[in-house]
Amino acid sequence: MHDVRVEVTPRLDGQAVDVRGNVVKARLLQDLNLDVARVRSICGFVVRSPMDAAALGERVDDLFVDPIIELGRLGSAWLADAALFPDAPDLVITIGFKPGVTDNAGSAALDGLRTLFPEARVEGAGVATDLTYAFYGLPAGADGADIAASLHNPLIERALIQTGPGSDGWTLLGYPERPAVEAQPPATVDLEVDDETLIRLSEDGLLALNLEEMQTIRDHYRDPAVQASRTALGLPPHAPTDVELECLAQTWSEHCKHKIFAAHIHHRDEVTGEDSEIDSLFKTHIMRPTLDMQEEMPWLLSVFHDNSGVIAWDDAWSVCMKAETHNSPSALDPYGGAMTGIVGVNRDILGTGLGARPIANTDVFCFGPPDWEGDLPSNLFHPSRVLRGVHAGVRVGGNESGIPTVNGAIVFDDRYIGKPLVYCGTVGLMPATLPDGRPGHAKTAEPGDLVYMVGGRIGADGIHGATFSSLELTEDSPSSAVQIGDPITQKKMLDMLLEARDAGLIASITDNGAGGISSSIGEMAEQTGGVEIDLAAAPLKQVGLSPWEILVSESQERMTVAVHPHHAEAFEAMATVHEVEATVVATFTDDGRFLVRHGEEVVALLPLEFLHDGVPQLRLESVWSPPEHPAFVPPEDADHNALLLRLLARPNVASKEDWVRQYDHEVIAQTAVKPFVGVERDGPADAAVIAPLHGSSRGLVISNGIVPRYADIDAGAMVVAAVDEAVRNAVCVGVDVDRMAGLDNFCWPDPIVSEKTPDGRFKLAQLVRANRELERMCRAYRVPCVSGKDSMKNDYGTGPDKISIPPTMLFSLFGDHPDVRMTATSDLKREGERLYLFGRCRQELGASEVASMLSEAGEAAGIGGTVPSMDDPVAQREAYAALSAEIAAGRIRTAHDCSEGGLGVALAEMCIGGRRGAMVDLDGLGLDGADTFGQLWGESLGRIVIGVEALHEAEVCQALEQHGLTLIGLVVSGGRLVVEDGFDVLIDLEVEEMVEAWKAPLALPVGGGR
Amino acid sequence: MSDVRVAVLFGFGINCDHETAAVFRLVGAEADRLHVNRLIESPEVLATYDILAIPGGFSFGDHLGSGRLLGNRLRFALRDPLRDFVANGGPVIGICNGFQVLVKTGLLPGPPAGGDVTPDFEQRASLALNESGRYEDRWVTLEFDPESPCVWTKGLTRIDCPVRHGEGRFVVEDESVLDRMDEAHQLTVRYVDPASPKGEGRTDALLPYPISPNGSARNIAGVCDATGLVFGLMPHPEAIYAKWLHPDHTRYTAPEAEASVPVEERSLGEWEGEGLQIFRNAVEHVRARSG
Repeated sequence: MHDVRVEVTPRLDGQAVDVRGNVVKARLLQDLNLDVARVRSICGFVVRSPMDAAALGERVDDLFVDPIIELGRLGSAWLADAALFPDAPDLVITIGFKPGVTDNAGSAALDGLRTLFPEARVEGAGVATDLTYAFYGLPAGADGADIAASLHNPLIERALIQTGPGSDGWTLLGYPERPAVEAQPPATVDLEVDDETLIRLSEDGLLALNLEEMQTIRDHYRDPAVQASRTALGLPPHAPTDVELECLAQTWSEHCKHKIFAAHIHHRDEVTGEDSEIDSLFKTHIMRPTLDMQEEMPWLLSVFHDNSGVIAWDDAWSVCMKAETHNSPSALDPYGGAMTGIVGVNRDILGTGLGARPIANTDVFCFGPPDWEGDLPSNLFHPSRVLRGVHAGVRVGGNESGIPTVNGAIVFDDRYIGKPLVYCGTVGLMPATLPDGRPGHAKTAEPGDLVYMVGGRIGADGIHGATFSSLELTEDSPSSAVQIGDPITQKKMLDMLLEARDAGLIASITDNGAGGISSSIGEMAEQTGGVEIDLAAAPLKQVGLSPWEILVSESQERMTVAVHPHHAEAFEAMATVHEVEATVVATFTDDGRFLVRHGEEVVALLPLEFLHDGVPQLRLESVWSPPEHPAFVPPEDADHNALLLRLLARPNVASKEDWVRQYDHEVIAQTAVKPFVGVERDGPADAAVIAPLHGSSRGLVISNGIVPRYADIDAGAMVVAAVDEAVRNAVCVGVDVDRMAGLDNFCWPDPIVSEKTPDGRFKLAQLVRANRELERMCRAYRVPCVSGKDSMKNDYGTGPDKISIPPTMLFSLFGDHPDVRMTATSDLKREGERLYLFGRCRQELGASEVASMLSEAGEAAGIGGTVPSMDDPVAQREAYAALSAEIAAGRIRTAHDCSEGGLGVALAEMCIGGRRGAMVDLDGLGLDGADTFGQLWGESLGRIVIGVEALHEAEVCQALEQHGLTLIGLVVSGGRLVVEDGFDVLIDLEVEEMVEAWKAPLALPVGGGR
Repeated sequence: MSDVRVAVLFGFGINCDHETAAVFRLVGAEADRLHVNRLIESPEVLATYDILAIPGGFSFGDHLGSGRLLGNRLRFALRDPLRDFVANGGPVIGICNGFQVLVKTGLLPGPPAGGDVTPDFEQRASLALNESGRYEDRWVTLEFDPESPCVWTKGLTRIDCPVRHGEGRFVVEDESVLDRMDEAHQLTVRYVDPASPKGEGRTDALLPYPISPNGSARNIAGVCDATGLVFGLMPHPEAIYAKWLHPDHTRYTAPEAEASVPVEERSLGEWEGEGLQIFRNAVEHVRARSG
């Protein structure tokens, strides 16, 4: 093998530009306020292959260099070339990956190398990439280490900083060599020890198992029947192997088993005196209501038990949706963590039923304020860097997978500095019936089926992801839990598996996510009642993995697929065409055992029943007493013009256009309502509408609701508002309210009372209230939750400086749309359009955006007060049904919901989208208890501003009058928004002024990249 | 079974294959999604098709330059069948990543007009990183050279459609290449200011971002080869196959399609989008040729 270095740099003549260098120059100005005169970039490739420099040299222009815009060089640094780099740079930084970290450009280069040189198809060949930046005109005092720190993440990358060539010339990064590791044979773990040692075993091994769970495992091995079966297979009879213990830790992790949602809870309410017992929040408040509704909703095809929930759509197609979080990995490596989040949830869709095609992504992020100037705990990135990294990861993951990102949100709050929330959701489409007659949503595995691992290989990356995310983040959190996704490997696998599905080759399929094959095969084995795995058959990224590591590694881009033996040949041939690796690693049985071999040696034997149902139920304490906040008192003589401009500039309200535009939101040619609407295509959309069957205008609606601020007063109100917001958004585009399904995604701070969480009882009570309100809203709105997820340890640190996120629930919704040609958008359309407020304004300013803004600025005492509520959701649903029907009938083309910043912000956004002014008078709204301030800025739920053309006004009014409809204004020709209250002018602003206030705060400089 | 057969390539990260196949079907052709490796396995299959489409996507993740690695696979494994396909009069379209592939293989812009225009697989242009430094999805307005020999764009004046790329800045080594292409009307489609009068938008003077989303030389959005058969463009005409995909459809201001068939004969009637005519042109060209 030879290591040959190839360097490529942009040409300086002709029309070439060094865009990469320019992007770094702009970033240094933005991040470090460093104005560097010029940055030049060099891409490096270290090629390890049987080819020497002479052989490679002849083909450099075919592979590495674009001859029109680039120059290539072999063996030594471009920097040493006096013709191309005549001036000495002030600073040179080279960034490459650490050993073992996924290098997608390197893998692509290797693939390209093998196209040119078939002899490079040997084990051990590889290409490593790096990027060198040469800085010219560096301001005095600029620190190379600071610059390097802003350009790389030391967890996964290495940086080489040079100020000039050494005696041997410029130093170059070499091939990232992994230190040799030897696989360890399975060890026996003695659990016949005292309780303290049991706990230490769990903590030191990152098992995240509590004492009772450790004891339960110990007791399993005391059973004589268990001991006898183990002896027969040559396993240690009295104690688990490390393989078994790791497997149980993954399967029993909070991440996989949702132990808190399954817990027995003793709940007390100090206000009402209630004292009650709850046997599982999930079963009581989420599953039960959905199953009740399923009796009247035959279109609910598959709920809860699969990787995503499936509903019938039209005669030929079913749709499914899933949302997940990837918070902990995104905190440590925002880019890689978020990318694996999005491609991971895509696999949940591919792993639903017999396989669904992902057709739309949604991304909702919660971050610390991007302009944060306070302290940062060690090991945490600045929120602006988390935003940039997460955004880039989701962008690359979604765009390269060819799945449009159609809807999303970004929420900012100081407490998300401790743990960012990265919610990734995906909608999928599957045939209702396969060509062979099987329903698309049901799995059909049988004993004797072969179990294939398909896609990527298993590596040391991603070990302990499931257990790690079940612990709080600390300075010592392991880097092995972080991975970088490989969207192209996954795309190839997706193409292949959907072809295999349509050919009838798939008996069952599931995703490899948390817990690796221990979880995927372990869960799938329940379909037949047993499995026998051979770890030695699994293809590995590198030698030296021990059996337990192979079993639990969460290396990405893998699916587990069951195939009937007589389909094996066709399945493997299809994999070959698509250049996808597919290897038999197990066989399904029906003997009730989870049996794992490594070659001939049996390394684990667990009864399936114990593996899946052996975990003891947690018993938890919950006590509710309402938190106290100083009341929010609106300022007297408020300057509403100033308030509106300030609200529009709040990061929670401001336009995220420059960020969101970097997501492909239109691939598949289906997006009828895009994230941006209006004349300048920059107004906000309320919900996405897609028409995924080409040539048909039958549609789907996708929306989200998230309002964590309200949890500061009551987590129950937070959930009510989130559900209402998701439904309200969907109504704005004309969803069929009889065909909607929801997803609940809870992210909570640790709610188990302990030394490190003294307020655990309160946090659990917040969860209880949230679940009760979720049930009330879902039953009333007739929105069944078909899938959900919870992430329950969103805290940073353990001491007095511990940061806990605000309790947060994202409610995602997907529903039917009869015809996408009849929908509405938020932009004002035409002069003369009449504006109505649908819904009622109450004096609900508690925890509102305006209360937060003014109390943060010291202009109000606090955020306390009446938080928005929904007393009669049944009536609200009827109202929504009436409005949605008017939109779907084509009589309303303008609609926008009132959310953060209330009616005032909603009106401003409508003017922005239409680049038109409006004359509004609030005089008619006074009957529901709100004063002028409350009407303008309060956040009462259920409100939508609609614009109606004179032609349809009578019909619309007749249909909606009984549900609360107030004429508030008129779209006018001038470019001003004027809001009056009877005689007083409250707001009088140029639309362009509002545009500027709204678009500037999160804008990105052109030429500066991301 | 239709009389016109279209091969729509997919695999390795191409991701607009479904909609690209769909738009050909909407204009009456039969379209197969064909995996690149199936074509490499049986190159003779290409000759059984009338039209070849290379859709958009992220083949090989755009690593080593967009279109480079897929371009190499085609260039080394399918050189002769591709050359014969074009030499025998088969229309080829590359959209977005497909355009990048055609440019990196040298099929676009191809040998200069006036000489031997058989594909020689020599790269003469490139698509570089956008000057903005970022990938963007945004709607642009395009105008076509009415004198272009391009068989795909006959009768089209102006359309709106989205761009969705990070590497779309069309560059050549030397301005004279552009001059020659312009003379031969190979600069088929350009970004134009939507405020300009229809038919008068094309200009060589660089238009500002975001009217020209990437900083392309002479605002070039797409080019054809000297034969007019091979056409590539960065924007996505398939993404406006239906009027309900236009951002202005809720404003009642989405433009009408300029189609060569009467409204009542179009598969989407008055809801046909402006982009569909490009695909219909190629299908009609094949019919006229064989007819």
